[in-house]
Amino acid sequence: MIESKDVLEIILRALQNLNDELPDDEKFEAGPTTPLFGPNATLDSLALVSVIVDVEGDVSTALGRSISLTDDRAMSQEISPFDDVQTLLNYIMTLVNESP
Amino acid sequence: MMSEDLYAGKVVLVTGSRRGVGKAIAEHFLKNGADKVIGFARGAGSIDHPNYHHFEVDVGDTESVIMSFAALKQVTDSIQIVVNNAAVLTSQYSMIMPPAAAQAMVNVNLLGPFLVSREAAKMMRKRKWGRIINIGSMAASLEPIGDSMYAACKAGLSTLANVMAKEFASMNVTCNTLGINAIESDMLAQLPRDKIDAIIAGLPVPRMSKEDDILNVIDFFAAERSSQITAQTVFLGGVN
Repeated sequence: MIESKDVLEIILRALQNLNDELPDDEKFEAGPTTPLFGPNATLDSLALVSVIVDVEGDVSTALGRSISLTDDRAMSQEISPFDDVQTLLNYIMTLVNESP
Repeated sequence: MMSEDLYAGKVVLVTGSRRGVGKAIAEHFLKNGADKVIGFARGAGSIDHPNYHHFEVDVGDTESVIMSFAALKQVTDSIQIVVNNAAVLTSQYSMIMPPAAAQAMVNVNLLGPFLVSREAAKMMRKRKWGRIINIGSMAASLEPIGDSMYAACKAGLSTLANVMAKEFASMNVTCNTLGINAIESDMLAQLPRDKIDAIIAGLPVPRMSKEDDILNVIDFFAAERSSQITAQTVFLGGVN
């Protein structure tokens, strides 16, 4: 089992990896309130996909079973998991706490 | 003469590696020094080599592909080159084509490359380098009678590569398609020989492909120097 702080670390690491690839004038601050998707987001759609793929893979590895952040369930949540770091963290913890 | 370490340091995934063109491609990478060659096929493996790892996979089945990628991560944490070769062919007039056969072609020939490329790209992303090579067919261009679904799938394969080329470009992953023409294989044996001979006779280079014709283009697409070659379809024999 992994805890919320571990998942947050994974998300922030994925954002930092993305930041490392960006030119200086496009870098953003990565934290729990960083918007991921929507009008306030600084990530473009491909960058968001990269973050989701990294997070999905790293959480699955840490958890020892696969989780999906891109299935129909994720896309149909009333509150989008991809609004910001906190909503993504909340959604992942929901998946983590479910029986395998 | 090629260097025997041409693919040193590379991990290669070949679908449909059990026989025919796929087997020849897998053996080519092994012969030229690939660190590992991962083979995906529905049946048991037919290559005996210490660097060859076989997985029994139905590439047209989403769960099968996802589970196989989870399993192959026990063998490697990276893939650099993917050759989407697995294909099935039923040649029949559209009005009497069994729907199940048409569905199987969509699943294996189109959905399969999508799924395999999708999962492999996630692994390529980590190293910011990759080559995805789809094995297409002259049927996509020549559109022969009886091959409605097969030709449509193979045409779709080029489109698949072209769109993925845009999506994966920032990861330094190229996506291309090799449209092969007839080569002696189990698949070819399913087709009327006179029909094949007539098609070949009409090509600018009127002979069937040989293995090396195919491997030559694969080496070109896979080369380090080909980083700017993406979203391209190369046909053999003068088909365009």
